[in-house]
Amino acid sequence: MRQTLSLEAQAIWKVLVVGLILGAGLPALFALGIRSLAYGQGGEAEAHGAGTPTPHPLGRAIGVLCFAIVVVAVALGILFIVVSGFGKELSFSNIYPTIVDK
Amino acid sequence: MILVLVIVVALAFDFTNGFHDTANAMASSIATRALTPKVAVALSGLLNLVGAFLSVEVALTVTNAVVKIQNKDGTPKPDLLTDGGSALLLIILAGLIGAIVWNLLTWLIGLPSSSSHALFGGLIGSTIAGLGWSAVNWNGDGSKIDGVIGKVILPAVLSPVVAGVVAATGTWLIYRIVVGVAAQYTDDGFRWGQIGSASLISLAHGTNDAQKTMGVITLALIASGHWTSPDSIPFWVKAVCAIAIASGTYLGGWRIIRTLGKGLVEIVPPQGMAADSASASVILVSSHLGFALSTTHVATGSILGSGVGKPGATVRWRVAGRMVTAWVITLPSAGIVGALMWWIADVLGGGLFGAIVITMLLLAAAIGMYVRSRREPVHPGNVNDDWEKPAPSAVKQSVSV
Repeated sequence: MRQTLSLEAQAIWKVLVVGLILGAGLPALFALGIRSLAYGQGGEAEAHGAGTPTPHPLGRAIGVLCFAIVVVAVALGILFIVVSGFGKELSFSNIYPTIVDK
Repeated sequence: MILVLVIVVALAFDFTNGFHDTANAMASSIATRALTPKVAVALSGLLNLVGAFLSVEVALTVTNAVVKIQNKDGTPKPDLLTDGGSALLLIILAGLIGAIVWNLLTWLIGLPSSSSHALFGGLIGSTIAGLGWSAVNWNGDGSKIDGVIGKVILPAVLSPVVAGVVAATGTWLIYRIVVGVAAQYTDDGFRWGQIGSASLISLAHGTNDAQKTMGVITLALIASGHWTSPDSIPFWVKAVCAIAIASGTYLGGWRIIRTLGKGLVEIVPPQGMAADSASASVILVSSHLGFALSTTHVATGSILGSGVGKPGATVRWRVAGRMVTAWVITLPSAGIVGALMWWIADVLGGGLFGAIVITMLLLAAAIGMYVRSRREPVHPGNVNDDWEKPAPSAVKQSVSV
């Protein structure tokens, strides 16, 4: 029983860590993207003091970059699901993902 | 033939699995109106269909984790193969009935509960009834994670906690990062995010859950001699299971969607996206590591976590408590029904007649619960209504006058 518990703990730990990186990290990145877009838009998009904030193109650029990263991560996730479904796995030995047999 | 009954009932289970789990992927998106109810279930159904076809990994060994009715490679144990495998078929049939009854009952009450646990519970119950306590794989041989305790019970307890922690962290981070951004902006932005993350959950659910029914049907086919390969699944089995779970998903399980979307936490888009992302990542990582995971437990844990992570959010812990109680009794309850069904069939001779009788009992129970549900129907029109009824003081005044 103790053996099972320690094996279980190791596995759960992996789930927690990867879960935090992907499950909390990606939304945080997404939030950053939204914030950057709001900053980039100016006007009433953000709470501000007196006067109207001007638009900042840099904000828009950063926002788009953030969303792009999120989309790529999600696409990789989908690719991962599809590939595992066929009994293969993704390999990153060439920097970009390739499909190899398990 | 008993085999035909097993296949039909297995597909019925797959159907209930579909509508029971729509909520896991789509409840938060429906509650925040990121998607309209009809579009949400259509999207989820489609993705489940796609996902189900993607699951090619050997599904036979799913049941091997909990009951010892198969050899190591997934083929049925030889002593169960007499009479065209009717002993094994009866155990499977009784188990499936136990699972369906529990799924329908929890649907009627509007409580999200694990269809996977219902299936395992039903099978364990009928296996104990038919073969005794020793025929259940409680803990494997201890050298790796296996058995009911290792692969079902412990993950069931731990996964919602992990999902909750991930979701709470994500929610907290999101709210810190978007401080000051206009509400309309964040809500619209995160609604888009929700659509993406909810879609991921639906895809993951399709790959994960359809497999279980495919495995059960293939096992029945092998037991009755209609299929021989333990490494592959007949295409028609894959197709009908995919269609069954997708149509069940499209039907919606509105009662459960309402509980998960409105009953636990008053969800807004940022929380919804954090919850869905947490669910998707936990489900994907765990299934990659080989756990027989319950998408329901994970989704509920995530939604609760998103409530905890947002400062000042309402979390209805009492509803959560009722849910956890339902989860704890799922395995034993489905098991009791499964065992009962096996005994009834056995008392009636253990052959086709017994199988038909218990299937008729299932039909009666299903119709009964459906009729009961029509008294207070939940549908796309009222799924997003406020959880709490208006205060009774207004009614009292008019009555006293």
